Amino acid sequence: MTRALGWLAVVGLVAGLVMGFAVAPREVTQGNVQRIMYVHVPSVWVAYVAFAVVFVASIVYLARRAEGADHVAHASAELGVLFTGLTIATGSIWGKPTWGAWWTWDARLTSVAVLFVMYLGYLLLRGMIDEPERAARYAAVLGVVAALNIPLVHFSVYWWRTLHQPPSLMKPGGSSMPRVIVWALLVNFAAFALVYLYFLARRVRLLRLEAEAAA
Amino acid sequence: MEHRSKETLNALVFFALLLLFVFQFALGPDRERLAAALPGLLWLGFVLAGLLGLGRTFVLERENDCWDALLLAPGDKSAIYVGKLAVNVLLMLVVEVLLLVLFTFFFNVDLVGPLPALALVLALGTLGLAAVGTLFAAMTAQVRARELLFPVLLLPVQVPVLLATVKATEAVLLGEPLSAVAHWLKLLAAADVVYVAAGVLTFDFLLES
Amino acid sequence: MPDNWGFVLAAYGLAALVLFAYWRRLIRREKELSASMPGHPMSAPASRTPLE
Repeated sequence: MTRALGWLAVVGLVAGLVMGFAVAPREVTQGNVQRIMYVHVPSVWVAYVAFAVVFVASIVYLARRAEGADHVAHASAELGVLFTGLTIATGSIWGKPTWGAWWTWDARLTSVAVLFVMYLGYLLLRGMIDEPERAARYAAVLGVVAALNIPLVHFSVYWWRTLHQPPSLMKPGGSSMPRVIVWALLVNFAAFALVYLYFLARRVRLLRLEAEAAA
Repeated sequence: MEHRSKETLNALVFFALLLLFVFQFALGPDRERLAAALPGLLWLGFVLAGLLGLGRTFVLERENDCWDALLLAPGDKSAIYVGKLAVNVLLMLVVEVLLLVLFTFFFNVDLVGPLPALALVLALGTLGLAAVGTLFAAMTAQVRARELLFPVLLLPVQVPVLLATVKATEAVLLGEPLSAVAHWLKLLAAADVVYVAAGVLTFDFLLES
Repeated sequence: MPDNWGFVLAAYGLAALVLFAYWRRLIRREKELSASMPGHPMSAPASRTPLE
């Protein structure tokens, strides 16, 4: 089953590449560097999905104490951090030729940076607790709090950057993106989602093995 | 509990004084830059002091091996959270008032006019900081490298509170009416509700034996 | 506006590298663990291909 998922992910990635390079047109204002968006945007979408999964799995764990839920939360957090890091890196690589800077403190980047550090902290917490049961419990609490915090982060950062301040950055993709670009984004998102699911399955399996080995 | 609070308070007072000197040295005689940076500096001071104070919430239980006593205590453990939270809020408010007075004195800032508005911002912000801080203090009390982990966990989660309080303080010190910062105040109030509720609901899970 | 294909390559390359490296780590760790656990179905040598 996992194997099928893995192959599906590969197919998805290939489809994504085709969409991103062959089907999608050269963007009018930015040129071909805009194609980085087909990695950058799906990455961040998958990251949010991953953290939503952490939230749900954490609640399930606290309610049922099912070890499986704990493994899913742990694995999903790891993947979330991975994809968030990828988002930041690819965004940075896109930003340098486009804006002239590797980083700015605009609303989106700041939000994503906070997200990254929050869940990195989650992984650190897990790493610092030796007893598996306590680690699971504490991480679940943190998983819930971190997720609840996400909307608060978004609003505060957005207001901080946009109120009383003229928008100084060009937004990637205007208010009405050409349909083919939207499709390319969606296909790549599906591909990344499949990669996430495949990695999640394998990581959970590995966690189960690690738990057995330690027992 | 009282002794711990007094100890912590003393340490925080000295810390506040130290911060004052550091800010003065860092920004020197540049009046304008200091005035512009004031809201940020103020809350930076509050947060740093908060990190110190909040991190020590469970130090007594930890040092005196009373942690197990906490775990075995009968009844609703959330009451412990609320109690610790109240003490923390009080401690932080005392330090904040002190820092404000010092700032007024040493940096010639006029705080009388905006005082009621400032007090509201302070109250809302402090509750937010303390609510999560108390919860995370329990979480990290028995963990390796807790002095490092506690700020690492707390600071990113507190970004909304920090942004809101600094922006609101900035506006208030410029003499703007509370209505101008209504959205920040609403955000702070919402954050406070979420954090306190989360703390009350999840604290039990941290103290299971 | 120049196309900056170098940047495009860097971004895609980085993504590919990170995902591949993570995948490799998962595979390797799983093989190590199952090999070292006695009586586990996976520790029978050469009975499975690595892509399972």
